[in-house]
Amino acid sequence: MAEQKFVTFVIERQDGPNEKPYTQEFDVPYRPSLNVVAALMEIQKNPVTRDGKRVAPVVWECNCLEKVCGACMMVINGKACQACCALIDNLKWPIHLAPARTFPVIRDLLIDRTVMFENLKKIQGWINVDGSWKVHEAPRQNPYTAQTCYEISHCMTCGCCLEACPNVGPQSDFMGPAPLAQVLLFNLNPLGKYDKPKRLEAIMQKGGITSCGNSQNCEAVCPKNIKLTRYIAQLNRDVNIQALKNIFNH
Amino acid sequence: MFNVTFYLRRLHSIAGLVCLGGFLLEHILTNARVLIGPESFNAAVDLLASIPPQIMLPLELGLVCTPFLFHAIYGVYIAWQAKNNPQHYRFINNIQFWLQRMTAWYLLVFLAWHVFYLRIFVKGGGAHISFQLLQSYFANPVWWVLYLIGMWAAIFHFCNGVTTFCMTWGIAAGPRIQKVINAAMMALCALLCFVSLAFMVVYLM
Repeated sequence: MAEQKFVTFVIERQDGPNEKPYTQEFDVPYRPSLNVVAALMEIQKNPVTRDGKRVAPVVWECNCLEKVCGACMMVINGKACQACCALIDNLKWPIHLAPARTFPVIRDLLIDRTVMFENLKKIQGWINVDGSWKVHEAPRQNPYTAQTCYEISHCMTCGCCLEACPNVGPQSDFMGPAPLAQVLLFNLNPLGKYDKPKRLEAIMQKGGITSCGNSQNCEAVCPKNIKLTRYIAQLNRDVNIQALKNIFNH
Repeated sequence: MFNVTFYLRRLHSIAGLVCLGGFLLEHILTNARVLIGPESFNAAVDLLASIPPQIMLPLELGLVCTPFLFHAIYGVYIAWQAKNNPQHYRFINNIQFWLQRMTAWYLLVFLAWHVFYLRIFVKGGGAHISFQLLQSYFANPVWWVLYLIGMWAAIFHFCNGVTTFCMTWGIAAGPRIQKVINAAMMALCALLCFVSLAFMVVYLM
């Protein structure tokens, strides 16, 4: 029988939101097509470090295991990505895992993404359909616009773009690329466009679209291949037109 | 609703491109005349010096000094908010983003010295700026190298700034046009860097 190979994981851990981070190393038995989430499950089953110490199991978040929910986003070998589709065979060993420190860390690899939800509320990431008026039948969608909408609607608020963006983080109030793209999504909707000025106003405020520095990391790391740079440029055009309207229409 | 940040950012962008960019190009064109000959450069400097100070000084203060100070001070605030990460995300655009900030820090110090020494101390002290004066200044290789780096930093900062300007103003929305503008501006950057190297070499000869 062939000798069992082991993959070493160097994991940046933290016991609580205000605790100091430290690293621990774990060996996980290798098998083909192993991914990071599966490896973390192995560690959970047997949380023993390389030097034989039994420790508290590593905490992380995951859900769908097929790159749809966005929950397992973490920093793997320095880059933000989904742990469920990060295959061990494609990564450099030893594998370094760290929480996405753009967000507040709750424990180990578990982060608090509330800020993304708050920003979706800020930009009005929904369509108003309930009112005292009659909505009639649903309005028609332009099939070409719908294609763009479909692409943006893939966003799973995983936060990869926020982690990779040099302008997002505790040092700045930038809301990041993900909520910006959602502005375009809802502005393109035949019913959603009634609130377009409201959404554009929201991203013209401090921490909105103007904080983008065009590093274009967001588009490069987006696990859903959403063309974020393109949509941010489009929104820039829209907010500039809105600004002209604000100046000359009042 | 009055979005102060929005207008400040846009003002920062346009001040950089129009005022500072225009002034940089004027600098390169005037300085490049040493390639024709020292007399040609001196004639260009004399022509600019012949503009009466009653006109020149308000222009300098309004179109150069104020935009410069605004761009620099607000720029420090912007650069302060970035956690640069080209070591993890080695994408060409991210490296450009990082270089944009690194050149900015260099230029902040370099231009403060450049303006203080040549414009305020030497020219303000009544000295006549000429090829000969600069040649004796650049006889010290340290100044020569620091000035060359300063030129290159300013040229990169300007050319990369044009690319991002086109995105910030929503001029270049599509990925193809963004790539084309970036490539064109980097080509312009290379050309202007070469020109500035050429006229700086003249001072050594």
